[in-house]
Amino acid sequence: MSIFDIKRIKPTVADLKSDLASHGRLVSSLAKLPFRHGPLFMLDKYRRYPWLRTLLAANTLLEMSVRTRTGAYREASGFGVSHVAAGIGELVDNLFAKPETTVIHEDLVPPEILYGMGLNPWMAELLGIIAPLIRSEFAEPYIDAAESEGTPPDICSLPKCTMGIALKGEMPKPKAILTSNMPCDGGMSSYSVLERELKVPTFRLDIPYNFYGERAVRFFAGELKRAIAWLEEHTPGRMDWDRMRQVCEIRNKAQEYQMEVWDLVAKKPAPMAGEALYLGHMMYSVAMPGRERGVEYWREMLVRTKKIAAAGGALPDERFRCALWNPPTLIYPELFVWAEQKYGVALLMDMISYNRHPYIDTKSPDTMLQGLARVVMEGPMARHTRGPSENFFSDLFALCERFSMDMIWMAGHIGCKNTMALNGMFREKCRERGIPLLIINYDLSDTRVVSPAEIRKQAEAFMETVMKARPL
Amino acid sequence: MKQPAGIPTFFKNLVEEPLNAMVEKAQDSGQRAIGYTCSYVPRPLLDVEGIFGVRLRAPGVSGTPMADTYLSNVICSLTRSIMELALEGAYSNLGGWVFASSCDHMRRLYDNLDYLEPLDFVHILDVPHKRGEAATAWMKEELEMLAEKLAEHFGVDTGRGALAISIKEHNRLLAILRGLDRLRRRDAPPLSGTQYQMLMMAATSSPRNLVIEPLESLYKELENSSDGIDDYRARLLLAGSNCDDPGYIRVIESTGGLVVGDRTCTGSIPALKPVSEEGDPLEVLASHSLDNISCPRMMEEFGARAQEILEAVKLTRADGVVLETMKFCDTWGVEASPLVSVLREQGIPVLRLEREYAMSSEGQLQTRVQAFLESMGR
Repeated sequence: MSIFDIKRIKPTVADLKSDLASHGRLVSSLAKLPFRHGPLFMLDKYRRYPWLRTLLAANTLLEMSVRTRTGAYREASGFGVSHVAAGIGELVDNLFAKPETTVIHEDLVPPEILYGMGLNPWMAELLGIIAPLIRSEFAEPYIDAAESEGTPPDICSLPKCTMGIALKGEMPKPKAILTSNMPCDGGMSSYSVLERELKVPTFRLDIPYNFYGERAVRFFAGELKRAIAWLEEHTPGRMDWDRMRQVCEIRNKAQEYQMEVWDLVAKKPAPMAGEALYLGHMMYSVAMPGRERGVEYWREMLVRTKKIAAAGGALPDERFRCALWNPPTLIYPELFVWAEQKYGVALLMDMISYNRHPYIDTKSPDTMLQGLARVVMEGPMARHTRGPSENFFSDLFALCERFSMDMIWMAGHIGCKNTMALNGMFREKCRERGIPLLIINYDLSDTRVVSPAEIRKQAEAFMETVMKARPL
Repeated sequence: MKQPAGIPTFFKNLVEEPLNAMVEKAQDSGQRAIGYTCSYVPRPLLDVEGIFGVRLRAPGVSGTPMADTYLSNVICSLTRSIMELALEGAYSNLGGWVFASSCDHMRRLYDNLDYLEPLDFVHILDVPHKRGEAATAWMKEELEMLAEKLAEHFGVDTGRGALAISIKEHNRLLAILRGLDRLRRRDAPPLSGTQYQMLMMAATSSPRNLVIEPLESLYKELENSSDGIDDYRARLLLAGSNCDDPGYIRVIESTGGLVVGDRTCTGSIPALKPVSEEGDPLEVLASHSLDNISCPRMMEEFGARAQEILEAVKLTRADGVVLETMKFCDTWGVEASPLVSVLREQGIPVLRLEREYAMSSEGQLQTRVQAFLESMGR
């Protein structure tokens, strides 16, 4: 494999068969694009949007997931990555096919409302999240572009990457932007740059700091109503409450399956781990919830998880169960593959995936908006970075208990000031509870700050000195 | 350019300590001091009979080693400096503190102080990021909750009547400060930007009733003074984030650039806008707070913010703008660049400075300002 000492596992005949299915799923989803739009159209897009080249290399991520594992876990990981890649293909396809109805939305503003209005959502941060998983250095020229326009180096590299894409003229122009005050001040402020660069009308949702209780739900459901009215004024979208109900029901269904997977993952040894869990959530609960694809993903994943559970666990030798706090290490997704192989570390849950997941009551437009308000306010990261520190710690310690975690790896992204400012409390609270904590010093999207090799060294030192683990 | 004489050392002494002698005096007389930050906490709500508000500052902080352990060293140094002094016990005489959820850094300051140095009374206001009817209604409820909590904890009257009196008295203080600010628009102002900032900070760091009279007499004295500063090279508008250290402005002015207006979190614009004395005091305070769009936390107001600076340039007849932002401040960090572009598009010379809370690298700052003045042909 390309990264350090990750071992390539010799495939069995069954492995080869499942690899073929995964690769087939990936290739067919990407091959659809020139067929649908025509080769010249795609060639033009390929030239105008260099990020397409990185997305088209998604097979490297797939290789990482399948070639390092064997059996049903390999099959499930391959299914997960290829399904998510195909989902991205669908979003790109729509982005090019429907510019007149495309609305750019911020990553923590779930797009259900846009689907309900017949609009086409495109998550502005999607490229900054997904592309570095495929090619670690992806974000760097965009970060440089944002910095050369005067954005300070200490701002989170994810919004900087997103701003850079817009500043370099590589963000397709939407009809409108729907954003919010989440997940951090840097992310919130980056939309003033996007608005200026793209020159499109922008609506900003305001999520209260204290979002518990009916008062906050009422306020935020009101914000959503105002957003719908604004979108009806500025885009061709019209709210169709029946369609909206359908979107919410699909979302609920996918959620149900995901929760069942979680229940199984809580068992020892865990029947599923790694990318299949966090990528699936990122894609089908954050980037494109409310689509049949999400139901299909989690239903299939549940079947596969059950199958693995019946046979034992996902990892050949699960020795440590790990919670990852903060988003996954985008520039180094191989970290957990390496940790699986070297020390038997199973990554079971992370901050993006773990939130309250309230189901949406689809009885009436009001209940749907209230349900969506809860989804947004209690959504991934938002509750941890925007809200009081109690959320950050109570969620983490609750999940540690629920999934019987042996340790916490905190992806200490230097640009995430919200979480950096909790590290002191974090260490003390973990010490009180006797939970080993590794704070990885790195940058989410920039390999020049801390290289993957250095990240691995930090993890290695922690495993050997604190966890007293010996390599498998 | 020399700083003129004429500002009594009384005011200088008030800004040199985190909790000054006036705070002690008021506490000795039985009043309780409430530390607050930032500008989104409406001070009239804290200035009722029996309690008074003191804006949290960290004068004299020389390093933040303890605060860095908790807040890390990538958080704005204003919050780290307040935390450092809190951990040293500098605010332990306060009866409580009130924060605003204005930015990530302030929220985490609140979290950490509540964890490490909890006072008997701790509150954080949930301040919306935009204006409008719904946001004002939310903010009003927030203030109502704080008012009730203050009344219950300190046994003070925070009812509508008491607040109306407080607003009136607050407006009296603002009128004096506005008068002093107006003197800076003269061709030869009788006070410098450094001195004005000192008076502003003295006013926010002291019990209101103990500074109104001294400020009023000073105003009368300066109003009639014919002396003024006439040896400056350029008139400058200071814009940007928190700048509660008059020493920072002193360094700028040492190069010959006279600061004639300050559109900062701690400056005269928009802090001196009077609070309406009509209507429900809580509603008035709520909309007054949200109408303060000077901080980029107010996410829909980029255009209005730029306009506010352009108007301030006109009002103060400034030759250029010094845009100072606190290092690690995300909102200013991202917004400063487009703001600079807007100002330059209007033909206004702008110097962008990133700074730490505690004064450092004086020489470097002087050189930057000197070069800026030269670039303006001054």
